[in-house]
Amino acid sequence: MNIAGTINVKEVVDYARTLPHVVDANEYVFMCSAPGQDLIRESIKRFEINRVVVAACSPSMHEPTFRAAIAEAGLNPYLLEMANIREHSAWVHSHEKRRATEKTKDLVRMAVAKAVLLEPLEELRIRMQPTSLVLGGGVAGLRASLDLAERGFKVHLVEKLPTTGGRAVRLGTIAHSKMSGSELLKPIIDSVESNPNIVTYVNSELEALDGSVGYFKGKIKRNPRFVSAKCTLCEECVHVCPVEVANEYDYGLSKRKAIYLPFKEAHPHIMVIDPAACNKCGECVKVCEPGAINLEEQPNEIEIVAGGIILATGFEPYEPPTGEFGYGRSERVLTLFQLERLLDSDGPTKGELVVSGSIPKSIAFIMCVGSLGTTENAHPYCSRMCCASSLKNMIRIKELYSDTTIYALYKDIRTYARYDEKLYERATERQIKFIAFEKTPAVNVDPDGVAVQVRDATLQERLIIPADVVVLAVGMSPSKDLDKVRSVVKVGCSPEGFLREAHPKLRPVEAPADGIFLAGSITSPKNVLETSMAGSATASKASILFAKGEFLVEPITAQVTEEICSGCAICIAMCPYGAISRKTMGEKRVAEVDRALCKACGACVAACPSGAMQQAGFKDTQVLAQVVAISERRNA
Amino acid sequence: MSEPFEPKIVLFACNWCTYAALDLAGTSRMKYPPTFLVIKVMCSGRVDPQFILEAFRNGADGVLVAGCHPGDCHYIEGNYKALRRITMIRRMLDRFGIERERLRLEWISASEATKFVHVANEMVKQIKVLGPLAPRLQVSA
Repeated sequence: MNIAGTINVKEVVDYARTLPHVVDANEYVFMCSAPGQDLIRESIKRFEINRVVVAACSPSMHEPTFRAAIAEAGLNPYLLEMANIREHSAWVHSHEKRRATEKTKDLVRMAVAKAVLLEPLEELRIRMQPTSLVLGGGVAGLRASLDLAERGFKVHLVEKLPTTGGRAVRLGTIAHSKMSGSELLKPIIDSVESNPNIVTYVNSELEALDGSVGYFKGKIKRNPRFVSAKCTLCEECVHVCPVEVANEYDYGLSKRKAIYLPFKEAHPHIMVIDPAACNKCGECVKVCEPGAINLEEQPNEIEIVAGGIILATGFEPYEPPTGEFGYGRSERVLTLFQLERLLDSDGPTKGELVVSGSIPKSIAFIMCVGSLGTTENAHPYCSRMCCASSLKNMIRIKELYSDTTIYALYKDIRTYARYDEKLYERATERQIKFIAFEKTPAVNVDPDGVAVQVRDATLQERLIIPADVVVLAVGMSPSKDLDKVRSVVKVGCSPEGFLREAHPKLRPVEAPADGIFLAGSITSPKNVLETSMAGSATASKASILFAKGEFLVEPITAQVTEEICSGCAICIAMCPYGAISRKTMGEKRVAEVDRALCKACGACVAACPSGAMQQAGFKDTQVLAQVVAISERRNA
Repeated sequence: MSEPFEPKIVLFACNWCTYAALDLAGTSRMKYPPTFLVIKVMCSGRVDPQFILEAFRNGADGVLVAGCHPGDCHYIEGNYKALRRITMIRRMLDRFGIERERLRLEWISASEATKFVHVANEMVKQIKVLGPLAPRLQVSA
């Protein structure tokens, strides 16, 4: 049964006719049907009606229907108010029919009171600039850029480092393949480089961002590379450079000069000078035959315009504090990411697993380092990629050095992907010794080796494992650069420090603000496959935006009455979207709302001390009219 | 009073969570007392202290503000703003002699129709014990 099963509809209609401003009231069994809508349109014409109240089902069902119906009759679609008398009354009060009818009259009276004060509203139409700004040149950023470019949209790809490829390009091996990270990514990096729709800015950062969906204006700061494309990679400069520092691309396992190539397959494939290390001695300039080096190069700024932004600035590996599992106290304690470099045929040891001068005979992997709350500093979450990655590396080591004994100390093993359970099977076939722990193991460092103490959770026995090398399977932390990104692009952050999605399940690659998309491990730990998927997903989302050509903003945004506004700026602090700023108006400063950025929450309105800030469709006067109308007495 | 006291409660429901929960209670044919007059706002952070005080002044025996759970706000943090405001208004209510229990803030997600019904029943019971507010607040019209 519908509304009439509980509510005396005739009584409500008769009551509605008695309300002030009401000139006509009708009932119909299905008001949303074509004849029902005709009834509304006829009434609008016949009585020259200029506000409509529909008392029916939830507005989430048919508000768009009724808006369209009154628009056809020539009324502004926002001159409609709905009273939800089905879900909020008839369907929940069938046990108290008399009182349900009274409540329904109240709801209708309140809707009429608000409707009287409704104002015509216009949607904001924003022309779309079909260009994308992509921040981050790792797997996610490359994938997103290439997808958009192939769809025909222009892309500005900005990478902070002097090379693209992110962290995946420095993986020694890729699971279920014979490839290294650089081999895996070479085709996509080449395609990005040769695609005429993509402009890549390496060594660059987004310095400032203005505007909103459809028309963002960005300022890209291009840091000097000091080396031009004339570089032939002859390496004469490297030989003469007197400055040596730890090589961050090998996670500190090797040294590099102040002028260097980050790694063998770095793109673009030319030298770069690290200004923090360089002492400007000029030796490199003297030996550079093609004259590619200019130590006086200055940063430059480039202004770009984009309709949408894809953030893909990635993660960073969990960095154990010095001493945690012996990390930083012995070169025999490595992280998973350092191990990847050692196993890379282009890495510092050309793929030979040489630690402290020899090939280890015994290796202990400690899993869940920095994840699942294993230590005091660890993150509470699972980093997803470390189990499969560790197993892959254990198998690789066994392939290279079958005599090496490998222990896998685990809290939990999660090989959730389609092929990854096979890694576990193959690891057990290769005699890797799995030891479950409940209590976090301890690592003792001495000059000749490391000893791992662990209580085997299955045997309930304390074991001491003498090992030549300990590998810490570190998880993924939110990038420290996120603060910098967030100071330029307004995006929210989860308690874990990753960026927050518009909806964790249904809108996982969109930021809450329109036109901003989130790709890869910027929102949560992801492996290469998932990162690639997220990259494509953001490109698809951005394409939808660009293909539409314009963006419609619901008109219920905040607006300022400048004459009343004192410029106190309380509203600015309330806005989670950075939609409010201050402008000068004659003698005073007043708030200004960027309607394209405003998401219509109304928080600024509730905070405004003067009433200058109002929300269209939810003005103080409109909501208060509803409040006052709870009592019949004041309306009668 | 001849008739038994049936309280009137104004419910400010956020569009994304609680309003949807009320719809779900309807489609699920749950039952709760016909006591709540719903006013939709886009976010619990839109609820101006003035709305609450005016509701009491115009005959509400209780006010329920309900929105998304902390961390789940459609507008990132509007519900925290509501929490801070409600805390402040409660202190004001003390001074007006209005019992704190008459103003309630609840987090009710779109799927928590059952929670709404529970809160509704509990609040009605509580306010019935407190009795009507109107006779004590003489409105000077």
